[in-house]
Amino acid sequence: MRTATLPATVSRYHLGQRNRERMLNLLAYGLLMLAIVIVFFPLAWMATVSVRPNIEVMKMPPDWIPAVFTLQAYAKIFSSPRYLVVFANTMLVSLLVTVLSLVLGAMAAYALARFKFAGQRAVLMFLITTQMFPLVLLCIPYFRIFITLGLYDTRTSLVIVYLTFTLPFCILMLRSYFLNIPRDIEEAAMVDGCSRLGAIFRTLIPMSYPAFIGAGLYTFLLAWNEFLFAVVLIESWENRVLTMAIYSLMAEFVTEWNMMMAFSVLASLPLVIAFVFLQKFMVQGMTAGALTS
Amino acid sequence: MLAFKRKYADDLLAYSFLWPSLLILVALLLYPLADVVRLSFHDSNLQRETWIGLGNYSALLQDPLFYKALWQTVLFTAASVILHLLIGLGLAVLLNMQINETFRAWARGLLIVPWLLAPTVAGMIWVLMLAPFGVFNGLLVSLGLIDVNASVSWLGNPETALGSVTAMNVWRAFPFFMVMLLAGLQAIPKQLYEAAEIDGATLWQQFWHITLPQLRGVITTVVLLDSIWTFRAFDPVFVMTGGGPAHSSEVLATAIYFDGFQKLRFGYASAEAVVMFVILFIVSAIYVRRTMSNGT
Repeated sequence: MRTATLPATVSRYHLGQRNRERMLNLLAYGLLMLAIVIVFFPLAWMATVSVRPNIEVMKMPPDWIPAVFTLQAYAKIFSSPRYLVVFANTMLVSLLVTVLSLVLGAMAAYALARFKFAGQRAVLMFLITTQMFPLVLLCIPYFRIFITLGLYDTRTSLVIVYLTFTLPFCILMLRSYFLNIPRDIEEAAMVDGCSRLGAIFRTLIPMSYPAFIGAGLYTFLLAWNEFLFAVVLIESWENRVLTMAIYSLMAEFVTEWNMMMAFSVLASLPLVIAFVFLQKFMVQGMTAGALTS
Repeated sequence: MLAFKRKYADDLLAYSFLWPSLLILVALLLYPLADVVRLSFHDSNLQRETWIGLGNYSALLQDPLFYKALWQTVLFTAASVILHLLIGLGLAVLLNMQINETFRAWARGLLIVPWLLAPTVAGMIWVLMLAPFGVFNGLLVSLGLIDVNASVSWLGNPETALGSVTAMNVWRAFPFFMVMLLAGLQAIPKQLYEAAEIDGATLWQQFWHITLPQLRGVITTVVLLDSIWTFRAFDPVFVMTGGGPAHSSEVLATAIYFDGFQKLRFGYASAEAVVMFVILFIVSAIYVRRTMSNGT
């Protein structure tokens, strides 16, 4: 007669452990959900305030759900060239910085990954140290230098100074990725009749696209979110970038919180959308950026 | 001749790829650094400069406000880094448990979102939430912890201003730790835990004797990096409190900014910046030594 018995290897102890594991997993789900709710509360609040009339923002105690739903804050932003120019400026500056950092960074990264030359170690150390520079220290000389050069209050000045923190990062990240691609592949291409540059463009660059996307995204994020240099180097409204425009809105006579939150939503949206689609590369970039060198 | 060319052709190519970046970085970092050091020995309002030797530094050492800003920077940094580490590690451990893959990916993605926001934007959201009419007070009223008419101005009160800025900074930057530590956890060999389980180690023992020692490298790296980044942070304080009220949330970065660009004491601000640079340089040196010795 066959009875359903447990296999000899599954002891009572194991069963207890199974249950315990299940409990622990339930706890993990619960705690993670709780964390998501807490972390998202400020974001949700930003979104709901952006669709309220401003008068409702000051209500105490607050309405958790907007009593009146209105898109007037967004309409105001989209109908005013004064605000739209700020978005265009930010996009222009961030894109330029990203392209420049990737091109110059890839060149330097290639030199550091593929050649041994005098001073290499010193260059690497310099690159790592630059990421630790107190940026506020640079503000004082930048302010003086750009006035002298006639570049004060121009978007060009922002593109130039943002390179101070984006370029070292791009070089280091691309270098560590290049190091993991065997040089045999390039050499094979060169044996097949490619020039060195041809080999780089046909093998190395296509193969390291994840590093380019990761570094590019992170660079874009840093440039898009920068605030200090923008405050110091930009004066007139038509050259302003988003972070600074949002800050100056707060200083205006009556703070229109719904407008500010609509601005904040619109300022965060491009990054969040890019992140949703390119999360994998971005996370790689994050981990690589700090752990490379 | 040909051999000579061969030998140095590679060096030449390397330098020609490298020089544009190096030139930019030297011009943008080393020259300004030298300029700040020079300026720190002068009395300057940008119009005129007079050599005063160590005058700025001796004034600095007698300035109680400087010590206050320095101390508050240390507090802000220590509190932020410790909380980042605790929250980041806790969430990383949870995300690394045997949970559904899709749920893991979604939870990780959602929890990273605050880190995408500009510190300026994040600061603004918290200014609104912490205002006397804000939702945080609303929450406390709903919970019956405070009276409707006794709402607290979290950023307008010297006792709570720095703590409020720290809270915002913790919220915005913990995902960095979470992501890095999760990557670290995923790299720990599973056999270690299996062996420990056979030996009858409790979960707590496993965490203490396997997880933490295995994560030591990652933890040291992220703690060093975050300490440097938080120590030099300008945006959160500037946006949320402007260093106030009564300098109760002033940090070095904002103090330097105000001394330079509001009081127009550029020499004095430069001296402060040099001191800040030296402190950061020491911490950076530890970090650089670590990364360079990890087999670059």
